[in-house]
Amino acid sequence: MLRRPLLLLLFLTGCSKGPEADLEYISSARSLAAEWALVNEQASEGHLTSAYVKTMRQSVREQLKTNAKSLTQPQSDYGSEIAAVLREPDDADPAALRAHASKLKQIEDHLESA
Amino acid sequence: MNPLELTLGIMTAVGGFVDISQLVFSGQAGSMFGYSLIWAFGISTIGIMVYGEMCGRVAAVAHQPLFSLMRHRLGLKLGLVTLIASFLSTLVTTAAEIGGLGMILNHLTGASYLLMCVVSTLVLMASMWILPFKWIERTYGLLGLFMIVFIVALVVIHPPWSKIASGFVPSVPHGLSAKQLFNYSYFVVAIFSAVMFPYEAFFYSSGGIEEQWGPKDLLTNRVTSIVGMGLGSLLSIAILALAALLFAPANVAPQIPGSVALQTAIPLGKLGLVMALLGMLFAVAGAAVETCMANAYSVSQFFGWEWGRHKKPWEAPRFTIAWIIVMLLALAIVMTGVEVMSLVGYAVVFSIVILPLSYLPLMLLANDKNYMRGYANKWLAKILGWLFFVIVTIAAIAAIPLYVLTAGGQG
Repeated sequence: MLRRPLLLLLFLTGCSKGPEADLEYISSARSLAAEWALVNEQASEGHLTSAYVKTMRQSVREQLKTNAKSLTQPQSDYGSEIAAVLREPDDADPAALRAHASKLKQIEDHLESA
Repeated sequence: MNPLELTLGIMTAVGGFVDISQLVFSGQAGSMFGYSLIWAFGISTIGIMVYGEMCGRVAAVAHQPLFSLMRHRLGLKLGLVTLIASFLSTLVTTAAEIGGLGMILNHLTGASYLLMCVVSTLVLMASMWILPFKWIERTYGLLGLFMIVFIVALVVIHPPWSKIASGFVPSVPHGLSAKQLFNYSYFVVAIFSAVMFPYEAFFYSSGGIEEQWGPKDLLTNRVTSIVGMGLGSLLSIAILALAALLFAPANVAPQIPGSVALQTAIPLGKLGLVMALLGMLFAVAGAAVETCMANAYSVSQFFGWEWGRHKKPWEAPRFTIAWIIVMLLALAIVMTGVEVMSLVGYAVVFSIVILPLSYLPLMLLANDKNYMRGYANKWLAKILGWLFFVIVTIAAIAAIPLYVLTAGGQG
């Protein structure tokens, strides 16, 4: 009885493309950029160990790359913004990373309200 | 009552409650929805206390482990289906815990993630081989108490206690869009699943039999269920509240399990960070041992093999081979390169689907006066047992559609 609606649901989810389908990656990238800013800020205040800082930056970068690759529209404004985050150096200024996170948040809010 | 006996409950709670999925969901829930999901932790904690106490009582009085009951109460076919589903979901959970251990060790030492997964699996297997049951539970249970640093961090930043208290009242935040409402519902279901993971009941029930509980231990059982699970819940709520205070304003919804440790570094510095990582390490290691042994217990009890860590490994050879295979299979899953966060999502969704089938035979036996004599469920245990059975059944039906609709809480 539940098979048809479930199959339809899976079909619709699997078929969606464009900004709507990319929303989860935009949201994830926004959070990762903000996490990176927090790590760099705390590192500059001497609150973190060097192993933690190094591995967190690696993890963030890897996940951002995965998000960028998963986008169905990499040439979009959000695709460019994620690419810009990835171009930042490991010890980027937290303010610069937060600016990227804010930009991605604006795009995310705009797409959610559309 | 020997205070050390409480460690069984503490390990089940700290290791089972605050496992890798609990770390992730508590952090994400707080950063995305503030304090409004605290009630889900509160209610599901009462649920696991009810079923945990029932498991211990059945183990102490009827000396029946959960999977032996399933075979008798559900019949061979349905019992076998439940066994296979439970085995797979618990295996994925073990893999998620091993991946989590690799990540935490990676953050602590800077060494390669996959190498740390292999090292932690070997250390876990060695500890399971060498240590008797009591020492396995004491080692991971007590070292997992480093997690208390999260409660210290919360107290230090002077949180708005009244707002946290208001989170215990079930409510849906105002002004959520349809999409956010689906996400909120997914988190409710995921929290119920992560708190009431069926492996906790399998492990707790088998642990009671390993420790040869009898009716004289019923008070210990009641206290360990309430104190142990209560402590685990308190830790999760502290992580959620810290995320609401420190992560939400910064637009962070933790994507990496290690991010949760930042919550203690902000107010407490390097010492707080290291204590949090160590606490997470031992709690997740405890959960990995629990999930692995829960699977070996389930298979052995279902097929009537010799089982138990109170015996030497070679005295229960099929049980020993079962836990070794489970651990190696879990490591093999991690070595494929699958993301830990994906494993966490699958573990939570598939666990809740089998939750009703896991707890139904337990309730039927705990209600049965022929087996339980004067220790059968009284009116309060019956009402709470059936109430939570209805709740987990609804959650089980909603779990997969919500997972698909929200892309595992990210959509």
